[in-house]
Amino acid sequence: MNGPHTLISRGSPPAAGALTAAELSALIDDRPQDGAFRVHRTVFSDPRVFDLEMKHIFESGWVFLGLASQLPRPHDYLTTTVGRQPVVVMRDSEGRLNAFLNSCRHKGAIICPLTSGNRKLHVCSYHGWSYDSAGRNRAIKGRAEGAYGQAFETESHDLASLPRFGEYRGLLFGSLSADVPSLEDYLGDARKLIDLAVDQSNEGLELVPGYVTFTFNGNWKLQLENCSDAYHFTSTHPSYLRVLDRRAASQGSGGAIRSVWDNDRPFESGARGATNGTFSFANGHVLNWSISQPSDAHPLFERIEELTRRFGEARCNWMFGTRNLTLFPNVQLAENASSQLRIIRPLAPDKTEMLTYCMAPIGESAEARRRRIRQYEDFFNPSGMATPDDAVLYEDCQAGHQTPIAEWLQGYSRGAGAASAAPNPLTEGLGIAPQSSVLGGPDLCDESVFHTYYRSWRDRLTRGIERSGTGAAQ
Amino acid sequence: MSGLTHQDAERLLYLEAHLLDERRWDEWLDLYTEDAVFWTPAWRNEDEPTASPDTELSLIYYEGRSNLADRVWRLRSGLSVASTPIQRTAHAISNVLVEAATDQAAKVKSSWATHVFNPRRKAQHVFFGRYEHDLRREGDRWRVARKKILLLNDYIPTVVDFYML
Repeated sequence: MNGPHTLISRGSPPAAGALTAAELSALIDDRPQDGAFRVHRTVFSDPRVFDLEMKHIFESGWVFLGLASQLPRPHDYLTTTVGRQPVVVMRDSEGRLNAFLNSCRHKGAIICPLTSGNRKLHVCSYHGWSYDSAGRNRAIKGRAEGAYGQAFETESHDLASLPRFGEYRGLLFGSLSADVPSLEDYLGDARKLIDLAVDQSNEGLELVPGYVTFTFNGNWKLQLENCSDAYHFTSTHPSYLRVLDRRAASQGSGGAIRSVWDNDRPFESGARGATNGTFSFANGHVLNWSISQPSDAHPLFERIEELTRRFGEARCNWMFGTRNLTLFPNVQLAENASSQLRIIRPLAPDKTEMLTYCMAPIGESAEARRRRIRQYEDFFNPSGMATPDDAVLYEDCQAGHQTPIAEWLQGYSRGAGAASAAPNPLTEGLGIAPQSSVLGGPDLCDESVFHTYYRSWRDRLTRGIERSGTGAAQ
Repeated sequence: MSGLTHQDAERLLYLEAHLLDERRWDEWLDLYTEDAVFWTPAWRNEDEPTASPDTELSLIYYEGRSNLADRVWRLRSGLSVASTPIQRTAHAISNVLVEAATDQAAKVKSSWATHVFNPRRKAQHVFFGRYEHDLRREGDRWRVARKKILLLNDYIPTVVDFYML
């Protein structure tokens, strides 16, 4: 394991002995008939596994790129990565959004070096080739005098488009492979859960200006799991919860912001009227949720009557509840203590970068926005009082994964006896048909929700290995 | 009563650095006014830190010393794995400049670097940036009414806590 503060090491040393599909598949001990589901520790640490994930998940399927509301004007752009590949999303002069490899066709240099901006023309700093905001090549320096051969003149010199690019309600996704299901099919019923976030405003979702980036020395799947993990909450975050107690006792006299959990803590034993559970969908998308009485400290409370009128009481309650939505593999919309959009970027088997934003309904009042931001900073920032405890524990898990014995992890078993594929009043109310639902009280803390992560992961990797005829990346 | 001198400013900033490094948390809290603002902006992009805490994200933004007392409480609670053990810090402050000073208030700019060592991971890091201290006279002493901490290297290795800034 690297030290926590070493420089980023991109990629991994060449892996000896690529994994076969059978070997990869054997890392997940999935025996539904025995009620068994175990994960082998090496899925978090083996560089060969990491290379396969990059190739067959991040660089061969749909990944989240950003929000359309980040690019409101013609010629706005933002840069991101798809797997290891730099990508730029641009809005052209006609208002259309497109995604391109952020790489000059000439020598490959990155053409948009900054995180975001507005430019009609992107000129490569190396040899001066230029592209417009629709990705079209506009000029090749010295073209007329260049004595190019005929083949060059017949090639396209435009920026390379991502083979697939799509939008669902303002969420932008792209794929480096054309061989993927439609975005609608990929997201499936998880779209209805995106709706719960987007419908909080007639104008949709936006990101509060300002972003926070941090890294941790652990595998990206530790973050994937944590978002859906109700079991850790009271044991990992007691310091945060006790600070909420301290503030409640002082009744706001010290200038602290009220918590959405001041009145009702749906994660604690004896929570009143709370219901907790998980929904698991195809393709690895999951929701971990709890519903309770809408809190008057929630930034959305100012609009509860309007939302109830529009969407009905049950759906409105969902908007106020805790909903941690993972859209596999790289984005999580976490609505709990506040509201976060986080993008997971794996850098190495034992290093992950998190790009984090406060997401918010467009047009909420200044007071609601202020409260949302304050609640966010305290909980979600790496300088706050909850996320640091998660991130340090990811590193502790990563350290623990180095052991060669007792290799099967036991953290995937809670809730297995409660999981059901049958519809229930909650799924029917939301109009969703998850592959599996778990409904329970605050102490059930389902872990079977992770199964869909690892089944999708296994299926994508084994299929990729079989198709490419080798497990070796590159 | 005269305004804050350059020497007064240096003494106060250096005292704050020592109190944090020596973990004398209660004395550190006592440097702040009850209504103190403690602010570390986030960044909008490569060039611009966020400027409006009520409409933009900050890394830390508190109005009121009790919020800092909560953070100190968390650090000492034994309930935060990220704070166990508390990391070792050495704050170094330089380029101190009194920008404005009256009998009752003063504004001081400085540069800072905090060397942080995590004894558990055997790892170290340097956070650095610029401070703005707004000082207010309370009785016979100066207190911090507002501290703005601009963190220039905001690519955070796992954790950054108030005492590392």
